[in-house]
Amino acid sequence: MRQLKLKTSQKIGAGLLLLLLAFALLEALLHGTAPYLQRLDQAFALPSLQEPLGTDQFGRSMLARMGAALRLSLILSLICVLTSATLGILLGVVAGWWQGWADRLLSFILNMLLALPGLVLILLFAGLAPGSLLMLYLAISLVLWVEYFRVVRAITRTQIQSSAMQASHMLGFGRWYCFRRHIWPALVSPVFTLAAFGAANAILALAALGFVSVGVRPPTAELGLMMVELFPYYSDAPWVLAQPVLAVFLLVLSLNLLAGGKRS
Amino acid sequence: MTGSQPIIPLLQVENLCVFSRPQAKNQAPELLLEPLSFSLYPGERLTILGETGAGKSLLMQAIMGTLPKPLYHQGRIRIAGQDLDALPQTEREQLWGRRIALLPQEPWHALDPLMPSQEQVSEVYQCVKGRKPDSADHQATQDLLAVGLQGAEHKRPDQLSGGMAQRLAFCAATAAGASLILADEPTKGLDTSCREALVQLLCKKSTQGTLLTITHDVAVARQLGGRILVMKSGRLLDDGRIKQVLDDSACQYTRQLIEAEPARWPPYPLPNIQQATPILEAQELSKQRGNKRLFEHLSLQIRRGEILGLTGDSGCGKSTLGDILLGLLPADSGRVYRRGGFAPQRYLKLYQDPPASFAPQVKLAQLFDDLIRLHRLDAKRLPALLERLNLSTHLLQRHSHQVSGGELQRLALARVLLMEPVFLFADEPVSRLDPITARDVLQLLVEVATEYQCAVLLVSHDPALVHKICHTQRCLSLP
Repeated sequence: MRQLKLKTSQKIGAGLLLLLLAFALLEALLHGTAPYLQRLDQAFALPSLQEPLGTDQFGRSMLARMGAALRLSLILSLICVLTSATLGILLGVVAGWWQGWADRLLSFILNMLLALPGLVLILLFAGLAPGSLLMLYLAISLVLWVEYFRVVRAITRTQIQSSAMQASHMLGFGRWYCFRRHIWPALVSPVFTLAAFGAANAILALAALGFVSVGVRPPTAELGLMMVELFPYYSDAPWVLAQPVLAVFLLVLSLNLLAGGKRS
Repeated sequence: MTGSQPIIPLLQVENLCVFSRPQAKNQAPELLLEPLSFSLYPGERLTILGETGAGKSLLMQAIMGTLPKPLYHQGRIRIAGQDLDALPQTEREQLWGRRIALLPQEPWHALDPLMPSQEQVSEVYQCVKGRKPDSADHQATQDLLAVGLQGAEHKRPDQLSGGMAQRLAFCAATAAGASLILADEPTKGLDTSCREALVQLLCKKSTQGTLLTITHDVAVARQLGGRILVMKSGRLLDDGRIKQVLDDSACQYTRQLIEAEPARWPPYPLPNIQQATPILEAQELSKQRGNKRLFEHLSLQIRRGEILGLTGDSGCGKSTLGDILLGLLPADSGRVYRRGGFAPQRYLKLYQDPPASFAPQVKLAQLFDDLIRLHRLDAKRLPALLERLNLSTHLLQRHSHQVSGGELQRLALARVLLMEPVFLFADEPVSRLDPITARDVLQLLVEVATEYQCAVLLVSHDPALVHKICHTQRCLSLP
């Protein structure tokens, strides 16, 4: 990551993401209220000094709920991206380098996964064990690794045929060196882009599952679930419904901005 | 140009210079091409000779009006008396094909990769000349026949050889009847035989109009004849009739360029290797690629310190043979024997494209360090070796793309020599370098190979070059 030169749009994306991250972290550290604490007499209280973001239909602090929901989305997307990227890079390099039966087997699995729309697959997994966060994590990672695999495999194939790698090989360098000097540097940039898109997709998938009520269960604060819970009250308290919508929008926007553009 | 009535030059360039726009406000614009003037009358040929970076292509782009945005030109360019800068861009583009034709450097980039040959030419007649499809097709067939492309009418560019593709590009470029032909390194990457055919074609066409050729190849300039300008780093160094310039120039750089021609090299004193032990033997090698048989029952032996030259037209399997000898590719049949029991890391390769053989992301010093550490080599040998190859140690602090081609090829040689090789496959090691640099690098290669008693398989498309510096020569030809 030595030559990390970001374009302006990428800088805006990174800044936006950092702001959301800071909000999620600072809320956990400074704001003492629990996200599930109900105070029915305070339902749909307008934003005030005590409750800067107002309260929801059960009088729960929206500030606390937004903080918790953002933490959930960010952490889940982070571990999904880490898992799928590691898996995809590992298998992609193996398939691209060894070729032969390993490549054929992995490509076969890949084509099976690609035949199903990603969200359908996630729904299927989520349906197996409703409300299980672990299952969601597995399902999203399973869908996301495919992209890394395809890109990494293609890049590895071109790299192992390059004169530079042939030269290193003839000079007696081993596979690990060839990976570190020739394959990895070529992978960093596309993998970074994929990771940013992958995180955005993971956040959208989690929210979509919450929205169709197969994701996490109430009273967990989750952006999609909050949207569907608050949806009936859109005319009474539009500012409350707007918060999770805006949060998803900003998360996805920041990650897409970050992904965009080539790094030199 | 005698005659009672004045003849208007087809192309007139007056004090043309090219600048690069300054990046910051307080900087002065950078002068890339120093003021240059010449006139070309019908039937004349002008060749501009110079190495990469001499500003030849800038001149051509300025005439076409296709200079990239950060650059601009000053001075006057007139085509048949018409001042080009007075014309709006759209009218200027109207001249393309009709008055000026550009024969591009790499025909592959200029041709439509999916369109059959005949259509590419026919399209020009239809769209530029407004002819009916039937008559356009007929004319296109005639054109292809005239350049010896009969039978290739329905082939796509990827099914053509380099020489054929260049002739097709020539047909398409000149179909609209331009009388002023600009040819930008038209023979780059072509074999000797294709090169001659193309040069003859250019000569033939130029009798009706005017030809302006850019090249770094003295042989091409000699064949084209006419007038010649010698350029270096954006400056005109020499100007005159070709015979007079090439045979007796007062300019030192011109003489250097001419002497860099392989045919002019002094014969290199090669040591006797008759008594040397064989290092590599190949017996009865055969290889097929697709349906094409590259070679069959090929046997060869190479001794320590021997320089074996391998020539042949492009695509005849020269590189494939080298890769088989190094064990990088399998042969269909036959065997390669390595004699003497040397470590496999002492059988190495030099690549055609110097930048392609170094990892681009790290400094060169890092790559050399990696190698020294891996084989526990004596790090003190490196500075001496670099000095032997006329390289500065400062170069190691750069990345491979920040070093010139000639320097990088010598660095590749240094990297190989660290391993004290016994066999080196040099795959057209200087074909991407300027003639003067190419000669220096190649002479160095031969010298150090002799010092290290290293056998070299030198692949080249230039028989003259191989003739001068090799013990033995083999010519591959397709069966």
